[in-house]
Amino acid sequence: MSSRVDAGARRSRREEDRRTEGQGPDMRRVAYRETHSSRAAVAIVAAVLVTVLAAYGLLEAAVHAIGQPAWLIEPQVAAQRLVELPAGISPLLLGAVGAVLAMAGLIFLLNGVLPGRRARHLLAGTGQASGGPAVVVDDEVIASSLARRARLAANVTPEQVMVVVSQRQVLVNVRPMSGVPVDGGTVLAAVQDELDQMELEPSPEARVNVTPTGVIGA
Amino acid sequence: MNSTPSLLNRILLTVLGLMLLAAGILLVLLATVPPVGAWWQSWSPGIWDGINQAFNATRFPGRTESWLWIVVALVLLLLIGLMVAWIAQQGKGRSSLLAAEYDPGDVPGDVRIGGGVAEQALKHALAGRPDLAGSTVATYDVKGSPALKVRLLPRQGVAPHLLAAEIAGLLAALEAVVGKETPVLIHIGAGARTRFGRAERVR
Repeated sequence: MSSRVDAGARRSRREEDRRTEGQGPDMRRVAYRETHSSRAAVAIVAAVLVTVLAAYGLLEAAVHAIGQPAWLIEPQVAAQRLVELPAGISPLLLGAVGAVLAMAGLIFLLNGVLPGRRARHLLAGTGQASGGPAVVVDDEVIASSLARRARLAANVTPEQVMVVVSQRQVLVNVRPMSGVPVDGGTVLAAVQDELDQMELEPSPEARVNVTPTGVIGA
Repeated sequence: MNSTPSLLNRILLTVLGLMLLAAGILLVLLATVPPVGAWWQSWSPGIWDGINQAFNATRFPGRTESWLWIVVALVLLLLIGLMVAWIAQQGKGRSSLLAAEYDPGDVPGDVRIGGGVAEQALKHALAGRPDLAGSTVATYDVKGSPALKVRLLPRQGVAPHLLAAEIAGLLAALEAVVGKETPVLIHIGAGARTRFGRAERVR
């Protein structure tokens, strides 16, 4: 009897272990996937391109296999032309075709090789550490929140503040009202306070830029 | 969150990109550098002759066509099938069940809770909020276990961390109702509706 209870307890503990173990890295992976592009759109474009080319090849091959005349160009003729290449076509056209092909190849290659980071940040504060949900925020939302805070600190209208949020940097541009000085230090302190509360990951560095020329009638 | 095969996408895109890039550079070089043209004309006929011989050796008895064409057609058909399968893999992963477990209670049997429960409950809880321009809740299947994705579109100027904390409270309540811990991802995003809508001024 006792052994059965023991076994049950051990099993449930193991299940619990597995769950917490499985959940930690799992959510990190989910967060990674959410902050990086999956390249689904480019992949679909590439697949459609290959499909169209293959369909044309299939058509010509099938037509040839049953002994009918070719639709656009006889494969043998095409291959013969390829073999004799620099001759038979104007170098300008050949170069242009090559450049277009190379360009398309470069786009696909860079899409495959570059990290593909999206303009998003993770919020660490409410994150997995406290057992809560993983939170991913678009940089645009962060920027508009910081702009609101900077506007209140500088006491200007919304149009006079522009915030640019990138992966590791936050740039706050303030255009003060002409004749009313704006203290960059206060704005920076307010923005920094907001950033500290957000606990972004990767954490960006804030900079405030007060333009020397003011605006009139704002 | 969805099960788009991002690694496969990267590999296939890289391979395709390299092939296209190599072909394009070869064409440009053929057009611009004469020695490359000379090399190409001395190198490629050998390959072409080999292919021609293969086709000649595989004729149907008594006819002029080669059965290699049928092989080529089948290979291309297979390639098209693979490409369609690749497209079908993109963006997969939605599921309809929030929880499915064997219940060893008085009445033995499976208990299944649909994803609609979470979706409706959260939508209802979020409906009256003035600081949100929109929200969607979806259930996903992440490696066999259900997970929730909450996408919020806050109005301009809403502090994301405060919003996230409030939603986390709602989710905790939902967890208490469902009785099972589900991994949740909150995505606070921006869209056309938040960009052109009125700003949030009260908070």
